[in-house]
Amino acid sequence: MGLADARAMHPEIEVVEADDAADRQLLESLADWCDRYTPLVALDGADGLFLDIAGCAHLFGGEQAMLEDALKRLSQQGFRARAGLASTPGMAWAAARFLDPVPVAPGEERATLMPLPLAALRLEPAARAGLESVGLRTVGAIVDAPRAPLARRFGAGVILRLDQALGEVEEAVSPRLPVAALSVERHLPEPVVRSEDVERLVFLLAGTLKEDMERRGEGARFLQLSLFRVDGAVRRLGVGASRPLREPALVLKLFRERLSAIGELEADCGFELVRLSALETARIAPEQANLAGGNGADETDLAMFADRVRARLGEGALAIPRPVESHIPERAVALMPYGGLATGAAPRPVPRERPIRLLPQAEPIDVFMAEVPEGPPRQFRWRRVLYRVARAEGPERIAPEWWLGGRQEEPTRDYFRIEDEEGRRYWLYRQGLYDATADMPRWYLHGLFA
Amino acid sequence: MATAAVAREAVFALRREIARIEGTLPERLELPARESGQEGLVLRRGGAPERAAGLLRTGSAGLDTALGGGLPLASLVEIHGRQSRDAGAVAGFTLALAALARKRTANAPLLWVGAGEAFSEAGAPYMPGILNRFGIEPEAMMFTRTRRLEDALWVAEEAASLTALSVVLLEVRGPSRRLDLTATRRLHHRTQAARRPLFLLRQAGLPEPTAAPVRLVVSAAASGERETLAGRLAGSIGPPAFRVETSRSRTGIPATFMLEWNADERAFHERHTLPDEAQDHGAVVSVSADGAHPAGQAGTVLARGVA
Repeated sequence: MGLADARAMHPEIEVVEADDAADRQLLESLADWCDRYTPLVALDGADGLFLDIAGCAHLFGGEQAMLEDALKRLSQQGFRARAGLASTPGMAWAAARFLDPVPVAPGEERATLMPLPLAALRLEPAARAGLESVGLRTVGAIVDAPRAPLARRFGAGVILRLDQALGEVEEAVSPRLPVAALSVERHLPEPVVRSEDVERLVFLLAGTLKEDMERRGEGARFLQLSLFRVDGAVRRLGVGASRPLREPALVLKLFRERLSAIGELEADCGFELVRLSALETARIAPEQANLAGGNGADETDLAMFADRVRARLGEGALAIPRPVESHIPERAVALMPYGGLATGAAPRPVPRERPIRLLPQAEPIDVFMAEVPEGPPRQFRWRRVLYRVARAEGPERIAPEWWLGGRQEEPTRDYFRIEDEEGRRYWLYRQGLYDATADMPRWYLHGLFA
Repeated sequence: MATAAVAREAVFALRREIARIEGTLPERLELPARESGQEGLVLRRGGAPERAAGLLRTGSAGLDTALGGGLPLASLVEIHGRQSRDAGAVAGFTLALAALARKRTANAPLLWVGAGEAFSEAGAPYMPGILNRFGIEPEAMMFTRTRRLEDALWVAEEAASLTALSVVLLEVRGPSRRLDLTATRRLHHRTQAARRPLFLLRQAGLPEPTAAPVRLVVSAAASGERETLAGRLAGSIGPPAFRVETSRSRTGIPATFMLEWNADERAFHERHTLPDEAQDHGAVVSVSADGAHPAGQAGTVLARGVA
C-alpha cells in the first residue's frame, strides 16, 4: 500500500521513516542487556537474538524460570518479545515465532516441528515459495520426503535448515563479544549509584576472581568491568596490565584511575548487576629475589605506574621510542606503547648528528639568501622571526627510500646544522636542488639541537 | 625582657621549621654579627642541611658553589627558557643533568612528560639525538604527552614518587595558573620521598612563585669548534654550550655561567675563555655513547683548563 492510499484511509496517520541504523543500535543494546544471562549472545537478522544458555540456566532457577524472567523483564522495558528455548538454534527460532514460551525438550524437535508451517524453517523465500507451490506447506510434509530430489529441486539449503532444526547438523552461534576466560558477577537487590560503591564491589569481585586465577596459576592481562544499569543500558570499562595481576587491591587501583578518568558514571537509577571478567590471562611466573638485593619491586612499581597511566589517559599514553631502520628522520623512530610486545632486538641507530627535538611536521621557512648550489642559508625566517646564521655544517643528503617503492617523486633533502648568532642550533633542510627543476627548492626547519 | 626573649625564641623556632621544610642550608639563617649567640647554634642544629650525598655535582665549580654544593637530587628543579625557541637549549641542558643524575641510580629509565602543546610547539623528544648526545639508551626513555595540564601534573606526581625512575621531566609551555605554589610544593614533596629529581621545564614562561628550591634560566650560547687531529676546525659547530643563570637557589647568589657539555666524558665544563679560544673537542667521527672511546679519551687530556 502506498503512503497516499494509507493517508486516504486514515487522514490522521503519523508517518515515521524507518531508521535501520537506529533499529540495529537498539538490537545491539538489547544484546548488551542479554549479557546478564549468558556471555554468548549473537544477533539474528534484524529482529532476533540468539542466547546460548548452556550451563547458565541453573543460575536463574532452571530453563522455564529463565525464559519467564527474560520475557518479564523485556516487557517491563516496553518490548513485546517472543522467546523459544530448545536444544538447537533452529528449533528455538521456530519455537520463538510459532509456539508458546515453553522449553522444547531434547529429542522432541521432530514431533514439535511436524505441524508447523514451512516459515518455521528459516528458508530462503524462493525455496519456500517453490515448496508451497507444489503443495508442501508444513514441515511434516517434507521431513520424511526423499532427500535427493528435494535438494535437487529446491536447493541444498532446505535440507540444511531441516537438519539444523532437528539437531542432526551442528550449528554454532557466534557470540558478538569475546568470551572471557573467567568472570565473576554480582546481582544486586538494591541498585548502586555511587562510584564508591562500585569500587567496593570491584574489590569484592576481584577477591573472588583472585581465587579462580590462583587455582589456574594465572593472572589477568586485561580486565573488563560491565555495569548493567536498571534501564537496560550496559557500560563496559576495560583496563590492561603490563604484567599479569590478580591482587584485588591492584585491580581496584587500576579501575579507580579508569573511573576517575571518565568522571561521571551516569548511574541514573543505578546498576543492578556488576560483572568483572578477565578477558586475557597469562601465567604468573613465581619470582625469586636476586642476590643483588632487588627483587624486582622497582620493576613492579613501574609496571603498575604504567598501567595506571594507561587506564587513565588511554592505551598509547606512555610510549617508549624504538629505533627503526630508516634514513628518513621522522621514520627512524617508532613510538611503541609501554609494555607492548618487544619483538627481537631493536636496531641500534647509527651515531650521527641528530637533533634532540623533532618538530611534528617540518615547518617551511623563508630563506632569502643561500649559497648556490649546495650551501647553507645566510639568514632565514621561521615563525615570523628572522634568524642570522653564524655557522653552518652540512649538507647531509638524505634521499627518499626508493627501495621501499612508492613516493619516488619526492626530492632529496640536504640537511644543515645551523647555529644562529645567539647560539641556538637548528636542523634545516632544503628539499630539492637548485637548477634541477623550474621551481626554486623549498627550505624547512625540522628540529632543534641541544 | 623575658617576653622579648620568648618572642625571639618563637621566631627562631618558626624559621627553623621553614628551613627544615625547604631544606635550606644553615648559613643563610645565620644571625647578623651583633645578635650572634646561642640562638645561632640552635639554628645550625635545626637547619638539617642536606648531606653531600644528596647533591649532584654539575662539574662546574662556579655553578656548584652558587647552588650551595651542587644540584639537590631529591628536589623539584625549575628550568626556564625565556622564549620557546630556547626549548632546544633548555631540553639539552636538562637532559645533560639527567644523564649525570642517572649515573647515581643505576641508569634507571627517564620519563619525559609533555603537557598540552609543549611537544607540538617545540618538537617532540627525538631519540637518536638524545642517545647520541647524552648517552641515554632508547630502552630507558619513556615519553608521555597529555592534552590537559592536570593530567600531566598527575603523571608527574605519581612518577616522582617512584624509585624505579631515575629522572622525571615535566615540560609545560607558557604561564599557568594551575602550576602555582601549592602544586609545585606538592611535586617537591613527592621528590623528597623517593629521592629522585623532578625537572620542571618551562617554555616561554616568566618566573612565577614556586616552591622549587632551585630555578635556573637557560639559553643557548655559541658552541665551541670541533677539535680534530689537525687542530680546530674553523666554522664548525662543536659541543653544545649553554648560558645558565641561577634565578633562585639556596644560597641566593645570582650568577651566570657558560657551560659546555662534553658528550664523550658526559660532563659539563665551565667556559672561562671566549668561545673562539674554547678548546673542548667535539665529536669528529662518531660519538661513543658510553664514554669509553679510546680516541676520545686522548683528546680530553689536552683540552681541560678548568680551575
